[in-house]
Amino acid sequence: MSEHDQPIAPVQLKVSGKTLALITGGGLVAGALIVLGAIMPAEYNVDPLGLGKLSGIARLWAPEEKTVDTNTAGGPLAREYETAPRTDVIEIPLTDFLGGAKGSELEYKVAMKQGATLIYEWEAVGAAKPDDIGFDFHGHTTPEPGQEMTVASYKASRGLSQKGSLTAPFDGIQGWQFSNFGDAPVVIRVKLTGFYELVPSGQEGNLAGIVANVPAAQARPDFQSNQR
Amino acid sequence: MRSHHILLALFAFSLIAPPVFAHAIGGSDAQFVRNTVGADPFPFLYLGAKHMVTGYDHLLFLLGVIFFLYRLKDVLLYVTLFSLGHSTTLILGVLFDFGVSAHLVDMVIGLSVSYKAFENLGGFRKIGFEIDNRLAVGGFGLVHGLGLATKLQDLGLNPDGLLPNLIAFNIGVEIGQLIALSLILVVMTLWRTTRSFGRFAIAANALLFLAGIVLAGEQLAGYFLAGDA
Repeated sequence: MSEHDQPIAPVQLKVSGKTLALITGGGLVAGALIVLGAIMPAEYNVDPLGLGKLSGIARLWAPEEKTVDTNTAGGPLAREYETAPRTDVIEIPLTDFLGGAKGSELEYKVAMKQGATLIYEWEAVGAAKPDDIGFDFHGHTTPEPGQEMTVASYKASRGLSQKGSLTAPFDGIQGWQFSNFGDAPVVIRVKLTGFYELVPSGQEGNLAGIVANVPAAQARPDFQSNQR
Repeated sequence: MRSHHILLALFAFSLIAPPVFAHAIGGSDAQFVRNTVGADPFPFLYLGAKHMVTGYDHLLFLLGVIFFLYRLKDVLLYVTLFSLGHSTTLILGVLFDFGVSAHLVDMVIGLSVSYKAFENLGGFRKIGFEIDNRLAVGGFGLVHGLGLATKLQDLGLNPDGLLPNLIAFNIGVEIGQLIALSLILVVMTLWRTTRSFGRFAIAANALLFLAGIVLAGEQLAGYFLAGDA
């Protein structure tokens, strides 16, 4: 073929100034939109335009997780602590399953230092069947954005009560996700004793805003419709 | 109508291309590199080739470079320049423990894609600012190599057998580049003979320009937000 010496297209394109401006300007704007609107929310949990939240792309973001072994941890069997032990009774009202995720499930955790121990006992009052209540007993650290999260899973199952003790494997928050799958509202009564701190209302671990040591009717002021 | 398609394609591209994997050595490969003591050329050769064939920012730049190169002689010249730059910084960077943030290097690589697309569009001629193509390609070769040097250093290479491993890795990079280049060249040559080439050449370079901006932007975001430099 003789085309080798005769290019069939110019070595550079001849584009009008207007087209060139359109391509570069459009490329910069579209590129910035993709980065700010999609990549940053999805990869780094930063959402300057709010588009990540609007499109749901922001939900793709999750901190890197590191799971710790919770069955074979070592450590002394007798421990001493600097702080005083505390005791709390937390009554958590949950709507029936028709109340949706907002009413029928929530997470309640307390803050614990590494090596701190607590004794717990919880029961679901008002549940009809033993498998009405789902629970996930777990803990994790509370990392800064972009940092790795360490998680520990203790037990995820169904049942109406649990009693035992926990020694925290790391500084972080420890507790339960409760879900009511039954058709009657229930109250989860959690009794805690030991070395821990309550998580203030609205913070990670107590986003539902549960108030401790008050009757169930007053324990969830942020969610009124369960008191009808 | 067409711009919609381009946007859609770029959007999809941005989703399937997580920045963490862009041009990085990860997972079990990273483990392997970390644990290697002594010269172990063939695995490093393979890793170099794999790195090149799977590094899409690298490939986009190559695509831009050979977009308007017709003669094999020209292609070889530019590839040699690029490889020289690439090899120099890769080997010297690791040996002398010199590197900059991988995010910043990858940002420049993204910009190099946009640069080449802009040049293909005749943009630099239009604004009366022309850089010798060979100089630009060689310079970007230096930057591409620096990025790889930084990433290899982060893996904690064992000093025992470092130089042979580096040379093997670098040869692997060139082999991978030849494989990728041959494929791109075949497709480009076929495409150039069709009528659609003239029509879509502008759109293709506009797309390249946008892809470069997205690559640069995501690395810039990573530099400030990922916190692992």
